[in-house]
Amino acid sequence: MFKFFSSSNIYSLIQKLINFINSIFFLILAIGLTFALVLSPPDYLQGDSVRIMYVHVPSAWIGLACFSVITLLSVLNFIFKIKNFYFINKSIAPIGLLFTCLAIVTGSLWGQPTWGTWWAWDARLTSMLVMMLFYIFYILTFKFLDNEESIIKVSSIIAIIGSINLPIIKYSVEWWSTLHQPASIKIVGSSSIHSEMMLPLMVMLLVFLLYAALIFLMKYKTEIIRIKKKNIKRK
Amino acid sequence: MTSNFITMNGYGLYVWLSFSVVFISCAFVYFKTKKTLKKYEQEFLVELQTLTLEEKKKVLENSKVAQQILATSFKAN
Repeated sequence: MFKFFSSSNIYSLIQKLINFINSIFFLILAIGLTFALVLSPPDYLQGDSVRIMYVHVPSAWIGLACFSVITLLSVLNFIFKIKNFYFINKSIAPIGLLFTCLAIVTGSLWGQPTWGTWWAWDARLTSMLVMMLFYIFYILTFKFLDNEESIIKVSSIIAIIGSINLPIIKYSVEWWSTLHQPASIKIVGSSSIHSEMMLPLMVMLLVFLLYAALIFLMKYKTEIIRIKKKNIKRK
Repeated sequence: MTSNFITMNGYGLYVWLSFSVVFISCAFVYFKTKKTLKKYEQEFLVELQTLTLEEKKKVLENSKVAQQILATSFKAN
């Protein structure tokens, strides 16, 4: 069982997964784009601007999910000192930052025709901006600190403090009166989104998840090679 | 029909700009990540070349990852 998790097995599994994602990615992307830009109906209020939702919402979800994973692994690393979690976090953080930035930019492009403004210091928008800043601080620790021990300590502290912002992002639209609309899709309870819009959204989410997985695997593979290279030098 | 698809009933600028920003950013990150991976693979192989035959043999015997990187580079070439 533990032999399966050796770096050589993980390395060959990563390569297989990269090849698999590469083989199906463009087909799913084509399906997603056809649904999002052609087949899905315009909104009765927002018209065709609602199509921005198909890139905005998955970006925001993945941005949030990445920070949640980083926090969880940081806590586990703090307790159990599993170095692999540090490499996983290092590979996930840039993906989270990318999708958080994309959520903010596409949100702004959606806000202009819908609210008449590119930006408002609204609770949801501001808390997303705060998360982006936490991602930047988190990544900067890898760039500017040399000692691995202190990187793990500082980055974990940043992730744990930043995680306070996660429920604020989630519930900001309920706690405060915001320009941003309340959640249309709920894990518990019925969603207020029509199935004709839900399907493209789920396909686009799958596309974004596959892309995130692809980048993660490539970054993690780079980390394995970096460690192996260091080990050769030591020998 | 085609004109409607491009203009998106007046929202074309916002819709197309959103999709373009997303796909250009994602493509940029993908190619940058791929380039870094290739760079590290090359650096690893260069590091391997600096070893003596005996050391190289030892590294390849002990590390399956090293074998796989070497195999991938042969395939690529």
